[in-house]
Amino acid sequence: MSKKPATQPALHKVIMVGSGGVGKSALTLQFMYDEFVEDYEPTKADSYRKKILLDGEEVQIDILDTAGQEDYAAIRDNYFRSGEGFLCIFSITEDESFQATQDFREQILRVKNDENIPFLLVGNKCDLEDKRKVSYQEASDRAKQWGVTYVETSAKTREHVDKVNSIVCRWYC
Amino acid sequence: MAPPPVVTGLSPIEGPPGTRITIRGENFGDKPSDLIGLTICGCDCLLSAEWKSPNKIIARSGPGKGKGDVIVTTRLGGVGSCNVSFKGYHETIGPMKESAVWVEEAPLFVWGRHSLSPSSYQQEDPLGLSVEGNDKKFPEDDLLELFPNCSGDITMDNFSACWFLLENHHCTSFNDLQAGLLHLRRKVEGQKEGQLSFLKANVGSVMDQVDTIVALKEKFEKDTAFYGTEPTLKLEKSIKESEREARKLFDDVLARRDRAEKTRNALNVLARFRFLFCLPCVIDRNIKKGDYDIVINDYMRVKNLFNKSEVPVFRTALSEIEKRVVGLQKMLHEKLQKMPITIEEQKRLIRYLINLDAPYEPAWDAIKSHSDYINLRFKQCYEEHKAAEAALAEELNKVKNSHSASKYSKYSPPQDALSTVPENILFIEELCEILSELFPDLWKLGQSYFTGELHVKVEPGRQAGFKHMVLTIIEMFCKTLRSAIIPHTLDKNVDRQLCGAWSLSDIDIIAPWLPACLRYIRATYKILIKLDLPSEALDIIAGLILDLRVYCMSILFKQTTEQVKHLHKQETWKIEFCSTHSGITDLPVKFEQSVQEAIHLIKESVLTNEQREMPLLDNASAQKELDKQVENLLSAFHGVLKNLAFQDDDGDGGEDRSPVVSQLIGTPITSYRTHDATNNIPVWEYRLLTTLSNCQYTNNTVLNHISDSFIKSGYLLSKMPIENVKSKLVTLEKAILDAYLEQKSDPLVGTIEPSMYLGRFDWDTDITPSDIRPYAKECINNLIHVHSEVYSVSPTLVDSVLPQVVQTIAEELYRLMSCVQKFSVPGIQQARADIGALQEIFSGYSTPKAKTFFIEALEIIPPLTKADSTIIEDILKQCRIKMRLQILCLSQHRTNGPVKT
Repeated sequence: MSKKPATQPALHKVIMVGSGGVGKSALTLQFMYDEFVEDYEPTKADSYRKKILLDGEEVQIDILDTAGQEDYAAIRDNYFRSGEGFLCIFSITEDESFQATQDFREQILRVKNDENIPFLLVGNKCDLEDKRKVSYQEASDRAKQWGVTYVETSAKTREHVDKVNSIVCRWYC
Repeated sequence: MAPPPVVTGLSPIEGPPGTRITIRGENFGDKPSDLIGLTICGCDCLLSAEWKSPNKIIARSGPGKGKGDVIVTTRLGGVGSCNVSFKGYHETIGPMKESAVWVEEAPLFVWGRHSLSPSSYQQEDPLGLSVEGNDKKFPEDDLLELFPNCSGDITMDNFSACWFLLENHHCTSFNDLQAGLLHLRRKVEGQKEGQLSFLKANVGSVMDQVDTIVALKEKFEKDTAFYGTEPTLKLEKSIKESEREARKLFDDVLARRDRAEKTRNALNVLARFRFLFCLPCVIDRNIKKGDYDIVINDYMRVKNLFNKSEVPVFRTALSEIEKRVVGLQKMLHEKLQKMPITIEEQKRLIRYLINLDAPYEPAWDAIKSHSDYINLRFKQCYEEHKAAEAALAEELNKVKNSHSASKYSKYSPPQDALSTVPENILFIEELCEILSELFPDLWKLGQSYFTGELHVKVEPGRQAGFKHMVLTIIEMFCKTLRSAIIPHTLDKNVDRQLCGAWSLSDIDIIAPWLPACLRYIRATYKILIKLDLPSEALDIIAGLILDLRVYCMSILFKQTTEQVKHLHKQETWKIEFCSTHSGITDLPVKFEQSVQEAIHLIKESVLTNEQREMPLLDNASAQKELDKQVENLLSAFHGVLKNLAFQDDDGDGGEDRSPVVSQLIGTPITSYRTHDATNNIPVWEYRLLTTLSNCQYTNNTVLNHISDSFIKSGYLLSKMPIENVKSKLVTLEKAILDAYLEQKSDPLVGTIEPSMYLGRFDWDTDITPSDIRPYAKECINNLIHVHSEVYSVSPTLVDSVLPQVVQTIAEELYRLMSCVQKFSVPGIQQARADIGALQEIFSGYSTPKAKTFFIEALEIIPPLTKADSTIIEDILKQCRIKMRLQILCLSQHRTNGPVKT
């Protein structure tokens, strides 16, 4: 039953990075399956694949959801090496996670050695406006400094998830 | 059918066996029971699978190792596919590694610090920094110099951090090192925290363990209080006691066993001696029974046991046995050479003799005796049949003597001989039988001797000897056969004496048996071919067969020739009208039949090539012989035809031959009738015509048929014989035709003159003619008679016979006219009317020559005035009306076609 398509569509590897508990997996699952998972379970490394039809061209996007916990920092390099695009997530309710994005950015640039690698800064949990610790301005300034786009999303309400989606797609079309 | 399930997401993507995996994707079915299969890395994990939703399944990985697909199978969607892969790995649990599950560590680790594999607990990169750019190694000598008595190994006691950093990170930037420090610090904290979190995560099993330990402690304390501090004392005591008891029980048994052993040994020795001393008797008995195998076995055994013994009693017994064995060897050897014997039996005897270390050369002796036996049988067979032949001859002589008066003495023996098989044929048959029966055994024996199947060493020179033996037998066989049937192929001086001549029977007697002979020899030949004999030996027989085939062919042809020669006796003179060729008797048909029969028979028996035979006619002499025989055969028929045409049978031809004038004029047919009635042989003219017709038929049809069937049967016949015979037949045809014409036209022409001048007729007459004269009518009638005679035999012959007759008539008329002295006017009228009428009536069969004779005859007759000529016209007109019937007879032909001469 597993019929392989005649021509394998282009495959692009996107990696979700960010501190623990900022909602990388939630965002990924929302993105993949329109599903929001309430319970928290630290991720080790998950892999998802999605076919996207864009301008009549089929593109496969492989999403690698990595562990935010520092326990797994050592294996990150290996993951980063295979990545072709990066979604750097932080939680707008947690300043620490926003500061960590700097480290991630640097590690990625060190491994990939490419300033223009597709990169997106995502501030998650924007539904929790009342608990906001990182202002929009602050985040978008940093994005501007890096020369990347900044998007605020909510994995819970699916706000701007599709926007992220379309930005990612545009990288590869 | 639902779309097949697709796995698009795995969480996590790697782990040791038992990892809980969240599998996400599409079309996982609508209810838990829809899920009917799940494999992770090729391992069936359905048991642990938990269906959550159409998009999600939670399962635990199996023992699969390495990267592999996660395949979901649903009831409606079938076997699915997978976009992501799971990597299973087997974790080595070290003493420093936390594990929530029990790990059997005994086989994995030998306790002791240094035996541990460092990789199991040492992280490759403790700082968590990529060391990719660190290509340049810091020289180890320098390090040793810088930090004496230190090491970069993190596990060593003398570990030096500086060494480590220089060794691994001497290119790393300060910032990175700071990050590494941070990482290391976090790691240490994490490990501390990790212990706590590990306990937290596995609190259930930890609590269980604690409970179990407490329970154990309580129980033990209770037992100590109850039984005292040394619980094993009582146990030790009982073990010791039971050991003592066991010894008591079994000592006796063991002693008994030893005794039994001793007794058995003694008995064995006794049995051995008894075996030795009884052996002579046993050997005698077994020889009598024919159990040579047992004898050999016993002999070997006794030799093994006592051969080296020096005890005199044993030596005596041994010599006794040896004596028996030598006797047995002799007996077997004699048996081996006694013929006839099957090859299996021989082989067995040879094996016995070899096993008994006989001083003979059993295999070679067997071969020799075999060969001698074959030669002997040949000789016996020859003598037997020779004697039989002599006896037969004597008997025949007796018969001959007693019937010497009988005039058919020459023909009586064949009648006898035909019913009984000639002795030399019987001889051949038996000889072939002997060879095909005995020779294969000899050959096989020889083969197994030389291939070492008999386990005998092949003596030098044996190979040549065997070859000589084989060739001699084959040669002898062939020569004897040749002497029996084809002695002319033998070398006269040497071989005839050797093989003895046979009284050769008549061809007639031997011919029917020849194909059978050939068959016997061929069968033998085939057997020999199957034996894979050397070609040298086979060629001898091949030569014999070739000669025999040639001989057989020529004999068969000769026989047919003889038959054909006697064909004339079978001539019935009965004419058969067949559609293609009318007016022949069955003689040519019979001839054709017998020739065809011969062709067929020869093809069947001789011409076809069997295994390992050359095509007969490749042989030049055979080809020549064939041509000769075919020509003889065909010429024989020519002779037959000639005989029939020109020879008188039983002396009654003379009467027929005398031409009787009156017969021709009168009723010619009646003469045949009378002859038919008396002796069935028709008059000579009739026979001539019939033979002529037969001759033509033979030439045109039969010979072609025969030639065709020669070609069809694969004879490579040259054209010569058939052409020769054809030309002979053509000559014969001409001779017969001439004879017939002479016979017919002479009297016919001879009657013209007497009839013309009958009643003293004179051309100088003054009687005005009113009709053509009788001689002309007679002439017409005679021709019609000839026509009818020829036609009655064969219509086709009419064309060749009648024109000749007409020509002679015309010539005679011309001669007669030129002899007339004087014509009166009425005479002229008469002559012109006569000749004109004949010319007109015969025109259908007139050759150009005849026509000129008619015209010249008319020119000799003086011319007439016109008034006088009218009367001729009148006469001719009248004549045409009166003789309408006769004219019709002779003109009939014209409708059939033009005249040929």
